[in-house]
Amino acid sequence: MSVEEVTQQTQDLNIEKPSTVLSSEKEFQLKHPLNSKWTLWYTKPAVDKSESWSDLLRPVTSFETVEEFWAIHNAIPKPRYLPFKSDYHLFRNDIRPEWEDPANSLGGKWTHQFWGKTPDIDDLWMRALLAVIGETIDEDDSQINGVVINIRKSAYKIAIWTKSADQKEALTKIGSKFKTVLKLGDDTQLEFLPHSTASEKHPQPSLVL
Amino acid sequence: MVRYTEEELLQLQPDVEVPVNFDIDSFRAIIDKVKEIQGFQEEEYQHFHRRRSSHHHGKPKIKHLKPKIKTDSDGWSTFDNNARRKSSVAAGSAGALNSSDEEVAVKEPASIAQETLKVKPNKNISSTKPADARDIVTDKAVNNFNAFAALESDEEDD
Repeated sequence: MSVEEVTQQTQDLNIEKPSTVLSSEKEFQLKHPLNSKWTLWYTKPAVDKSESWSDLLRPVTSFETVEEFWAIHNAIPKPRYLPFKSDYHLFRNDIRPEWEDPANSLGGKWTHQFWGKTPDIDDLWMRALLAVIGETIDEDDSQINGVVINIRKSAYKIAIWTKSADQKEALTKIGSKFKTVLKLGDDTQLEFLPHSTASEKHPQPSLVL
Repeated sequence: MVRYTEEELLQLQPDVEVPVNFDIDSFRAIIDKVKEIQGFQEEEYQHFHRRRSSHHHGKPKIKHLKPKIKTDSDGWSTFDNNARRKSSVAAGSAGALNSSDEEVAVKEPASIAQETLKVKPNKNISSTKPADARDIVTDKAVNNFNAFAALESDEEDD
């Protein structure tokens, strides 16, 4: 083959650039869907005695994609900035963050209390959120209903709410992963409290890790 | 089921601020307002529950100084009065005086001043009531008239 022929063939070649998300306007707008819709709730601390629980607990917004999650997470105040007696709740679909909700009534929660200032609480809360929305804390079935952070004067409490309270094996797996997410050592306890005992004065955990 | 690891989710975090689908300014304003109210409430609580210096009712407080004990080489222990007087400002100024009598006279109140006695003032001091409850006992007649004893003594006289 002569040099002219090679040159001609090279010019005839139509090498297309590899297609990426960035190369297409439509693909660029593509969002990463989550397994389910999540709703963020906020409990405003009572500043007036006339305010009831239903007045204080309000849904803030919902999201269904990773991009929407980041937009919301980066915009809202972090737990360390929130006033005392505030709570953030992130719950699946339209589940209300209450024991009375049918999706929660037979369930319970893995909970841990961080006493004192806990400088890395914002990071721990973000890790808990990512584990829940990414569904990596659940192995098989989606046992997780939501995740909650309570901001109190002397402590922060992070809890993961499950839809059942009697599936010991599945709950233990979730608890072990949650312990890793919260960076808890072997000397620190994580307790599982069924919602059925929540109204007791001193509820005893049914599982401890 | 769609799953994302923590690393995957972190990779998808945007570098720029993305607008949200709700009124974030109102939400932040609510939080700021609550924080402000809580700040006022805390300040008010501190004001009404602060410790007051006037809480000294009850027994008068007497501040006793611990006597210094000096033990000599023979094992005898004695009270060290000099050490106490040296610490007094009044005793220091009295050191300039020549007369030993005068020196003692000046030093004496200094040692008394070491111990502070706080006594509650007696409210009855200007009324008709006795200033001291013990006065009631001392004013009482000590000897009572005994009629039988008087009769006996008359018979003896006869």
